[in-house]
Amino acid sequence: MRKARLQDLLWILFISELQAANEPREEQYVLAVGRTLNVQCPFSIRKYANSQKAWQKLMDRGEPLTLVFTESVSGKPSQVRMGRYFLEDIPDEAILNVQMTNLQVEDSGLYRCVIYQPPKDPDILSPLVRLVVIKDFLVSDKNPTQNFVQISTFSPSTTKAQSTLLTSPRTVTQLLPTSTADISSPGFGVNITNVTDITSYGFRVPTINIIILVLCGLLSKSLVFTVLLAVTQRSFGP
Amino acid sequence: MSALCVLLTWALLALFGLAWGAEDLPCSCCPIVPRREWKAPASKCVDKLKLPARYVVVSHTAGSPCDSPALCLNQVQNVHNYHTGRLNWCDVGYNFLIGEDGLVYEGRGWDTKGDHTGKIWNPISIGISFMGNYMERSPPPRALRAAQSLLACGVAQGKLSPSYEVKGHRDVQRTLSPGDQLYEIIRTWPHYHE
Repeated sequence: MRKARLQDLLWILFISELQAANEPREEQYVLAVGRTLNVQCPFSIRKYANSQKAWQKLMDRGEPLTLVFTESVSGKPSQVRMGRYFLEDIPDEAILNVQMTNLQVEDSGLYRCVIYQPPKDPDILSPLVRLVVIKDFLVSDKNPTQNFVQISTFSPSTTKAQSTLLTSPRTVTQLLPTSTADISSPGFGVNITNVTDITSYGFRVPTINIIILVLCGLLSKSLVFTVLLAVTQRSFGP
Repeated sequence: MSALCVLLTWALLALFGLAWGAEDLPCSCCPIVPRREWKAPASKCVDKLKLPARYVVVSHTAGSPCDSPALCLNQVQNVHNYHTGRLNWCDVGYNFLIGEDGLVYEGRGWDTKGDHTGKIWNPISIGISFMGNYMERSPPPRALRAAQSLLACGVAQGKLSPSYEVKGHRDVQRTLSPGDQLYEIIRTWPHYHE
């Protein structure tokens, strides 16, 4: 009875792991109000070159809202614009370019690129996009570093993601400063060098301390064991 | 008592190893045959890749395979000559090449944009190519291991995003590359995503 339950549990875990393995990864984009979101969604050229694609927002209860969709099924490049939403389908390159202009705070949320095939359920493409639109409270400031600092303090979750860049496999954070200068990722660079400096510095200082501690530990442990051995030998010996 | 001495010596050695190791480079377990070893002429390419890359495109050269370091060295040079001489590219098109000798050969490397897939994919991906034609046969396990270890290195060195996706060449272009057999194999890789 117990064994059967355990087996069932293992099967459930195994199947849910399989599902997880095939799920699209999530990317986070943090942008200021008024900026433009640009996303590239690849698709399988053989399967979907002649399919319609759409850009959807996932509403509160997981309900998808289709914002814009392509109409062409010819396999030729096509573009469609629906207000602030723009889709460019390039079947020969297996890529769907998505653009959302003039971002507003209400645009924040979870979005996805899909293969649009009603009445069938859509096939979901990677990546899932988590958009965070923040108010730009530096109206006339052109200093890029300052803007960057403001953005990172306002959204602590993204700063945390920056410092654990190498240990968070599922979420990739993209931080885009408000100025027009192209700063690819100075924040990342600063964080990583700081971390390595600290660890390399920290290693040099307490090495002697570690050696002494280990020696003491070993000696005391071996003393205890020798004593125990001696005692047990005496009590069980001839 | 002698056991205790042995224990102590091991502990001390391990600690010294740690202390000296702390100043070493972060990853020295990524054996790649460097450009100068296969006598590569200087690259004329200028376009850089924005790192970390999020995609890896796997292709095959569709040319001759090679199963020894000597043969593969020669074959990389052949591919380079074809790309730079005939096709007039700035360098061999791939970022890395994999030989059936189980070795990874440095092409354009992690930092330079390759010419392996197309104008949309080249700037956003690392292109690795298995030397040979894999429609009817598969690369040997040592070649597949070399590729996997290369990609793990990429992540460790921050060149590849930890959530990078592997695509077959035929997933993103109208081509037979990387060949039916190799394609079926990469579809089983953990980072493969259609």
